[in-house]
Amino acid sequence: MTLLIAMLLLLTALAGTGVVLSRTPRRQVMAMGINGLILSLLFMALQAPDVALSELAVGTAALPLLFVVVLASMRMDRTPRQDEDA
Amino acid sequence: MTRTARLLLFALSCLVLAPATLALAWHMPAFGAHPLPYGEAINAVATAERHVTNMVSAVNFDYRGIDTLGEESMLLCAVTGVSVLLRGARGESTRARPGRVHGQPLRPRSTAMTLIGRVAAPVVLLFGVYVALHAMSTPGGGFQGGVIIASGLLLAFLGDGYRTWRRIVPSHLMDAIEGGGALLFALSGLLGLLTGAAFLANVLPFGEPGSVTSGGLMIPINLGVAGAVAGGFAVLFGEFLEETRVELSDRPAGGDT
Repeated sequence: MTLLIAMLLLLTALAGTGVVLSRTPRRQVMAMGINGLILSLLFMALQAPDVALSELAVGTAALPLLFVVVLASMRMDRTPRQDEDA
Repeated sequence: MTRTARLLLFALSCLVLAPATLALAWHMPAFGAHPLPYGEAINAVATAERHVTNMVSAVNFDYRGIDTLGEESMLLCAVTGVSVLLRGARGESTRARPGRVHGQPLRPRSTAMTLIGRVAAPVVLLFGVYVALHAMSTPGGGFQGGVIIASGLLLAFLGDGYRTWRRIVPSHLMDAIEGGGALLFALSGLLGLLTGAAFLANVLPFGEPGSVTSGGLMIPINLGVAGAVAGGFAVLFGEFLEETRVELSDRPAGGDT
């Protein structure tokens, strides 16, 4: 158990560093999702299943999804085409 | 700010904060051995007092229920704020076409994605309902279950696209579920007042420990939280997904028509 927690703590540190070091927004979102997944595993190993479920649902599913949608929306080409003006 | 100035500021703040951090870390209890007076007390009395086996739910929905009501209203306000900010004609009709990224073709959805979405969505939804209903006996509860339910609904978008998603997740219904959930929580609190007890006092029969019907007043509160969270997240997803649509009449603000 101690070894598991030590390894998960190490992974958490690595994933957190990954979030800080990734530069493009799309990679940041992915890194954040992975960090959330590892965090929820850590909470599970620390016998906090309630917190692990919350972290998994919010940090790995809902939040990255909202970011991905925002990124997709921002890159969209919304300039009106000339032939539609009438 | 130049690079040298930034590094100087960093070194200076390290010099001030590092001793304090070290001193604090030195005086912290050993890993996993911290004293938990409140947790121990709840573990000792909650099963006897409230007939529940998930102490987290007992704390959230009963012992500090008024706090949770505040958090629930916070979620309601946040979702309302997002809805107001993102409200608009864009994407609200199912005829709206998907927005394009300049220079990238719109690829059709693969059959595998549709299959995964259709297979996983009912399973995830069922798991969400399970987690939400068993709040008082096993880990999880209205919040976690609600978010899982909303994620399950979202799989319909991933598998079958925007139009199907809008059809099976009607936004008015989600609005009603969200608001109705929060209302149910507040009304549950009033039940105590009717019997002469305090607001949010647990006045219902507690039931059998470990069963779905244990917890008394925590059952309607938990259902309210589940509804508010599932509806709230579904509304949130909807508002954000609408932003990826382009209405045929989508014009920049201040147009002449």
